[in-house]
Amino acid sequence: MRYTTLLVIALLGILMGCRTPYDPELPSTELRLLVVEGYLDTEGLKSELKLSRMVPLSATQTMQPELGAKVTLKGPAGQSYSLLEKGAGVYLFESNIDESKIYTLEIVLKSGERYLSKSLKPIITPEILSSGFKKDQEGVEVFVTTQGTPNADDFLWTFEETWIYRPRIRSPYIYVPALKDVRDRTEAEQNALCFKTQPSPNILLETSSRFQDQLVFQQTITEIPLGDERIMERYSILISQKGLSSEDVPFWEVLKKNTEDIGSIFSPLPSLIGGNIYSLDEGKNPVIGQVSLGIIRQRRIFIDLTEVSPWNYLDPKFNDCVIGEEAVLKKDYQTIFGSGAVLPARPLMVGTTIVGYYPSARRCTDCTLYASKIRPAFWVDK
Amino acid sequence: MSLKYHRILLAFFLAFMACFPAFGQQDKEVTGLFAGISFQRFAELIEKETPYRFIYHSEDVSQLTVNLQANGDKLEDVLGIIFLKTDLNFSISAQKEVYILKGGKFPVEFLPNYFQASTSSALNSASPQDEFVRNRRYVIGRPGLGTEAKLSGVVKSLENNQAIEGAIVYEKESMRQTITNKEGEFDLVLPKGYTTLYIQNIGGYTEQRLLDVLGDAVLELNIGEGIFSLSEVVVRSGALTNVSRPEMGVQSLSVQEMRRLPAVMGEVDIIKGLLTMPGVNTAGEASVGFNVRGGAADQNLILLDQNTLFNPSHLFGFFSAINSDMVQGVELYKSGIPSNLGGRLSSVLQVTPKKGRTDKIGGSGGIGPMTSRFSLEGPIGQNTTFVLGSRLTYSDWLLDFLADKIDLGASRASFGDFNGTVTHQLGEKDALRVSGYYSKDEFQFDPDTVYSYSNKNVAISWTHYFSDDLEATFSVGQDAYAFNVEGEDNPLNAYRYQFDLKQQFLKANFRQEKGEKHLLTYGVHGIRYQLNPGRLLPFGESSGVIPDELAQEHAMDWSIFLGDELEINEKWSLSAGLRYNLYTFLGPQVLPIYAKDEPYLSENITGEQNYDAGENVQTYHGPELRLSGRYAISRNSSIKAGINSMRQNIHLLSNSSVVTPTDTWKLSDSFLAPQLGIQYALGYVTSSQQGALEFSAELYYRTMERLLDYRSGASIVLNQRIEQDVLVTQGKAYGLELYMKKTRGKLNGSLAYTCSRSLLQTDPSERKEQINGSKWYPSNFDQPHNANLVSNLELSKRLNVTLAGKYSTGRPVTLPIAKFDYAGSERVYFSERNAFRVPDYFRLDFSVNLEGNHKIAKLAHASWSFGIYNILGRDNAYSVYYVPEGGKLKGYQLAIFAEPIPFITYNFRF
Repeated sequence: MRYTTLLVIALLGILMGCRTPYDPELPSTELRLLVVEGYLDTEGLKSELKLSRMVPLSATQTMQPELGAKVTLKGPAGQSYSLLEKGAGVYLFESNIDESKIYTLEIVLKSGERYLSKSLKPIITPEILSSGFKKDQEGVEVFVTTQGTPNADDFLWTFEETWIYRPRIRSPYIYVPALKDVRDRTEAEQNALCFKTQPSPNILLETSSRFQDQLVFQQTITEIPLGDERIMERYSILISQKGLSSEDVPFWEVLKKNTEDIGSIFSPLPSLIGGNIYSLDEGKNPVIGQVSLGIIRQRRIFIDLTEVSPWNYLDPKFNDCVIGEEAVLKKDYQTIFGSGAVLPARPLMVGTTIVGYYPSARRCTDCTLYASKIRPAFWVDK
Repeated sequence: MSLKYHRILLAFFLAFMACFPAFGQQDKEVTGLFAGISFQRFAELIEKETPYRFIYHSEDVSQLTVNLQANGDKLEDVLGIIFLKTDLNFSISAQKEVYILKGGKFPVEFLPNYFQASTSSALNSASPQDEFVRNRRYVIGRPGLGTEAKLSGVVKSLENNQAIEGAIVYEKESMRQTITNKEGEFDLVLPKGYTTLYIQNIGGYTEQRLLDVLGDAVLELNIGEGIFSLSEVVVRSGALTNVSRPEMGVQSLSVQEMRRLPAVMGEVDIIKGLLTMPGVNTAGEASVGFNVRGGAADQNLILLDQNTLFNPSHLFGFFSAINSDMVQGVELYKSGIPSNLGGRLSSVLQVTPKKGRTDKIGGSGGIGPMTSRFSLEGPIGQNTTFVLGSRLTYSDWLLDFLADKIDLGASRASFGDFNGTVTHQLGEKDALRVSGYYSKDEFQFDPDTVYSYSNKNVAISWTHYFSDDLEATFSVGQDAYAFNVEGEDNPLNAYRYQFDLKQQFLKANFRQEKGEKHLLTYGVHGIRYQLNPGRLLPFGESSGVIPDELAQEHAMDWSIFLGDELEINEKWSLSAGLRYNLYTFLGPQVLPIYAKDEPYLSENITGEQNYDAGENVQTYHGPELRLSGRYAISRNSSIKAGINSMRQNIHLLSNSSVVTPTDTWKLSDSFLAPQLGIQYALGYVTSSQQGALEFSAELYYRTMERLLDYRSGASIVLNQRIEQDVLVTQGKAYGLELYMKKTRGKLNGSLAYTCSRSLLQTDPSERKEQINGSKWYPSNFDQPHNANLVSNLELSKRLNVTLAGKYSTGRPVTLPIAKFDYAGSERVYFSERNAFRVPDYFRLDFSVNLEGNHKIAKLAHASWSFGIYNILGRDNAYSVYYVPEGGKLKGYQLAIFAEPIPFITYNFRF
């Protein structure tokens, strides 16, 4: 990890006070370098290789996938493992290969451009010894503990977070235009239980030989500030621990520095980024990306709201969400609920009969606007 | 001047009698055995011992001999006895002039007005006495053979009787001029006859003395220093000096000039002052590191007297570490570096510390919003003087105050520094000086990480005058710099990271006048380096951090030098010097052996070699040439040219665009060779209005070899084998500097414009990585256009206002030009190194300096400075950067002082 943390990273808040948006005029010449990303698991865990193209800074879409490529991992004795195109520039690798051999990755694009990786030696990533979380007044910190080995000294951690997302107001009713009436929602129609998923945004690196016995103790994986949406009910994180070879580390450090550390007073200068993929064509098309082979060790943790209470989640964005005081009567259902922007939230009962519904805005009641209703396969309720 | 007196023969000359009443009562008394000597001799002896001066016709006293013994007798009584049987009469004026006349008494009381009748142009003067001194014609010397006479003299300050160094003594008709040396002494050969001698008082006004030179004579000139401004003594190489001195590219700045500049947070700053000079710029506002003629910040040798300052900054670069109260003046050598200075590639900044005053104990100080200063100086006994000064900060309140407006986190910062010098006169021929400097900075950006650094310097110098023509200064001392970072974010990972550097030095510097035309300097300079490149230690008991320490580095660095300032004739003069440097990197050391002709990469290591303590690991040596010449086109203008070559054995490892507190130094070793540089320069200087207006133009071209750049992703901190991450780089820089300066008048100031480039190229032989495909690329401080204006308007003697402006092309940056998705976030792809520039820089500052009244007898003189830094509130971009925010990339520009910053400082001296 080479002590990047020692550099004075964020000089002063003074500067934060003096920063203003900057939008320089950049030459319009398009840079469409190929970008290769992947850590392929050697024990058969389904792992992804992503092929994409760079886009101009002004582009609105962030990812321009490279489709229709042929990607093959080649072994020393002519073994060949094809990666399966999953779509959106993702190519899947799902083979258990001999970790003592040296491999290369070959990429042939639809256009015929050919790229090859430098020699790839699988890294036998040590197990995650323990994982967990702790809560203090700042929030929750998720950590893992592991121990490096002589050939797996450097680590890269990535994670994927998933959490239950609930709307501010739950609406168990649905207006069906065909019936011109409101009825209870079915299980498939529910809009009050969603799951949000996001990948790790930061690059997390550590060198175990910095510590005694190469023991990386309680390495912070992520910090969830108190009151954050992620633990509004139940949260899960899948931590992937990936051992890196010493050749991999500079690439990740440059990538990290170039995006995360640039711009404070004492920031290092941006560095050229390359990787271990090179072009086989004439003209040597530039390409970036560091592909690794190795064992990915994973741990999943669940954190329930009850374990970290008081949490005090409250999204101010929804503070205007209320249930209308005037009920919508049946004759007005079509007018009010017909567009779908307003949903029936609570019934108005006269005796035991529902004669109307108090309305609420869809943005306050429908979690599918913000997350997915699909319950992930790994999800375990408390 | 009365014609009658033209024929009067006078042995001595007195410039300013008003300074003598300070003499004690006993001075008026005469003691001694005067056995059968001529009256002339007697008069000489009396003049030597007492403040009295004799004025007489020599023929009147030619027959007179003196034969008496006096024992504390009054001069009147003694003279009464001598003249008892003669027809001579005497009168003694209030100014202790003894007039001897045949016959009646001389009307002493009318003299002043009498002399004033022949007034020539009256310069600024405070009292009739000044007028008197200036307008009286002094007859000096004894008639002899030849048409020229040599005047030897000393220039002293009227206020404190200290010798004034660097005063220019000149005569206009014959274009003769000289500069006083450190002891205020000068020699000047003038044509005999009537002449007007001008003494350009540095930082003050030009004084004049009317002379009738009959023959060789000795003068003592007491001149007022800036009578109206009551400033510190300032050293400024005057305009005439710039025209006539053979060296070029020398910028001088007086404390007085610095004081007038609007200051950030009210703190007078030497380095900020230098930035108003052509050819000097900075990578960023919050950086005390400065760049001279396209060189990196570590290529400047910063000398505080004899000591080297390794980190010249306080408070992450907002202030310079040099207390301006302790400074007499600064000189920055951009080229024309004298042969007795060396060790860095770009420049030498010589800070001359103040010498203690000899008349009484006095002091000065200042109170500003962030800092306070106090200094004390004066004599201790007969032969010893001292100067002590200190500065402290209390910036935390300001940070707290600012924290209300912006997110400062838990930032804390404090600094302090201390200077002291004691000078002792061992006898007529020896002087001893002991000086020390200490500074300490401590700051933190979050509660868990504390940064601190410290400079410690000490030196002893002994100056010996072998003869009138030869003097030598021997000095020994130690310069130390260290920093320390303590991180205790997590007790299990808590660490302490340290760096330190020490150098012991020894200098012998001889200065010898060889006849009229040669001024030789020669000597030897030795440095012993001990450098600890980095040490990581666990901090606290529960820390699991493994100690990591880079091997200590040791080296010896010897230089011998010889220089000659040669005045070939009135038109031509030459300053030539040669310096030879021998550098040895010493053991103990364990170094890898790399495969021959392979780049320094870990895969090319074939073995290891052990070196014992003190064993010679690697030697580098080579000559450095310093040559500059002047051709005087006329008495007011000259053309100059010079060549300078330099070597640098110590490198600052820095992977950011400015000097940061955690940058470490590295000694040249088996793999990193010394940096080399050569500079060619051509210049033109002209001055008019007796130096009040000066214009200069200089062209330069320089090349630099073996500079350091770094591989992508290189980490400098605790890098065991930095040579594996270093890219050998070469540089070139060229430019034109135009400088106009008006030193006197109601409106004065300077205007500097520099058009320059500074380019780098990865050495084509470098195989590790080639930045920008080994094409030339602009360095981080390549600012093609740079203009600086300082205008000062003296509204009255006590009130002046200054408007300062700075414009420069934005510095080069490497910008993202495309984006891509990687590791869960949007990432950026950067352009070639330094392919873009931040927006141009423009800033205006304003300050008002208000002096208290100037009665010399006042207890303390006070002055106020207030003003506004960055009046326009322009948010000049320091840098631009992109950060992913919520998965999206956003561009920001960073400004250091984006708003007008008012300041106020109260200064006093007593």
